[in-house]
Amino acid sequence: MLYREAGQFKTSYQADQAAFPIFQDQLAVWAILAVAFIGVPLVGNDFFLNSIMIPFLIFALASVGLNILTGYAGQLSLGTGAFMGVGAYACYKLTTIFPDVNIVIMIVASGFFSAGIGMIFGLPSLRIKGFYLVVTTLAAQFFLEWCFIRIAWLYNYNPSGAIEVPQREAFGVILTGASATPVTRYLLVLSIVVVMTWIAFNIIRGRIGRSWMMIRDMDIAAELMGVKPLNAKLSAFAVSSFYCGVAGAMMVFFWLGAAEVESFDVNHSFLILFMVILGGLGSIKGAFMGAAFIWILPILIRAAPGWIGIEVQAATVEHLNFMLIGGLIIFFLIIEPHGLARLWSIGKQKLRVWPFPY
Amino acid sequence: MNVHSQAAAAQSDDGIALGADLLHVDNISLSFGGVKAIQDVSFDIRKGEIRAIIGPNGAGKTSMLNVINGFYHPQEGIISFKGRERRRMRPYEAAAQGIARTFQNVALFTGMTTLENIMAGRSLKMHRNFFWQMLYRGPALNEEMEHRRVVEEIIDFLEIEAIRKTPVGQLPYGLQKRVELGRALAMEPTLLLLDEPMAGMNLEEKEDMSRYVLDVNSQLGTTIALIEHDMGVVMDLADRVMVLDYGKKIADGTPDEVQANQAVIDAYLGVPH
Repeated sequence: MLYREAGQFKTSYQADQAAFPIFQDQLAVWAILAVAFIGVPLVGNDFFLNSIMIPFLIFALASVGLNILTGYAGQLSLGTGAFMGVGAYACYKLTTIFPDVNIVIMIVASGFFSAGIGMIFGLPSLRIKGFYLVVTTLAAQFFLEWCFIRIAWLYNYNPSGAIEVPQREAFGVILTGASATPVTRYLLVLSIVVVMTWIAFNIIRGRIGRSWMMIRDMDIAAELMGVKPLNAKLSAFAVSSFYCGVAGAMMVFFWLGAAEVESFDVNHSFLILFMVILGGLGSIKGAFMGAAFIWILPILIRAAPGWIGIEVQAATVEHLNFMLIGGLIIFFLIIEPHGLARLWSIGKQKLRVWPFPY
Repeated sequence: MNVHSQAAAAQSDDGIALGADLLHVDNISLSFGGVKAIQDVSFDIRKGEIRAIIGPNGAGKTSMLNVINGFYHPQEGIISFKGRERRRMRPYEAAAQGIARTFQNVALFTGMTTLENIMAGRSLKMHRNFFWQMLYRGPALNEEMEHRRVVEEIIDFLEIEAIRKTPVGQLPYGLQKRVELGRALAMEPTLLLLDEPMAGMNLEEKEDMSRYVLDVNSQLGTTIALIEHDMGVVMDLADRVMVLDYGKKIADGTPDEVQANQAVIDAYLGVPH
């Protein structure tokens, strides 16, 4: 009933190919953006912004990045954590070498370093596929981790081996460092994530995105349509790593404040990969859903006993958490192997035809 | 029809008269280790004709198509296309020269919709750079819409309007074959290679497909080379037929000549020992 598109006729191909062709969807997107930009900063407390929203958005952006590579171009990767690290260390070096340049510019610029490294480690994908490619990206992960420890120049010879975010301001507002307010950092992260998600969506529905999907679905036929595998695969690695690099830089500069190599280890690669798989391969909104599921749900479960007034030992809650999240992941993947995004579109389809079954 | 006029324009570009040699294959030999897939085969494809390649299973028909569009590189022999001799060539270079192809076992992009699949066929004709692609505005959007218009004409032509937005993985086999033809047509090829376009179809679907093949040939002026096992279809559609057996050419000529050829009859029916 609520979700009827009757009477919404498309009179041009442009309207037919719009990002959100259905009016109700457009309304929903504007509503979500309004809540995110105005509602959340107004009502959210520091804990909500710092521990839920900022990391959720950053992981969602990294998931969008990995989804471009794995979901759209079909190249499996376990190097996400390391590529995020490249972005973070690049941003740290850039901002310590050029302290006067706006930090947002530096964060975006650090994505290019990550893209370059990603392309180098994407080269094996021209010869190998699937699980074998996973192994080479895993090699990238370990090699880059080694670099983050052994090359002291990367962390400016800091004896602790960590990168510590310096304070940076623009137009009189403190953007990074300990004295930056959560609201400022949240709004910066949100803006970057929204713009980059929009760009990712545009690339995917255009010629370049199609060439990625062609390579993913049938590389032989893609070559016959004039797609060069070299260009398609390396551009997917570059764009994907760019997104991961920016996410990594934001993770350190807008969320953690300081980071060591452990922040970019293989566990993070797995974390992002799970978000992508659970959310849905080949779906941008799936990346957000996956990130929300894996990041926000455990926090809610941890807080839940307090809300209903039951005293449970912290350790017990933690164990319950693992069991519940694990169970839910299996549950959702069994009822819909294509992830939450597919579940969402099935639900939408049901709403469209309700009260009829089809 | 816009497709028609564009294709006609493409045809006049290469300066080859109707009936003149479009593709020339000279003494091609291809072997995989000890297996001789093609042995010393020569033939030509004339512009505007429908050329059939037939032969028993394993005769080297598909290998021949793979040689023509650059998947395999023959050890010996020369291929010239549009009067130009070509060296080792990658499939995307063959595509750029105007050779399109469908596959024996459908090779569609299963995760994409019919529309996206046929749009994929336009890849070579789209040039807007990364910057405009990022914005999906201005030139990139115009280009996208321009090609969408051409693709819609192909969709009309093949009567697949209803499945425009269906992921092709969900389509029945007959329709998949039709979408694959549409994808190849979107490339506006000079030479279209069809590898068993009617395999696994019922009579009605075969009749439909035959009609499309004839229409493509007569309306768009596309030269077609096809492999097919249904002899009725081959003899009705083809202008000239080449017969391969164990990698060797055993006959070449009009359908009537080939049907009367004793070597062909022996290859298909066997010879008493």
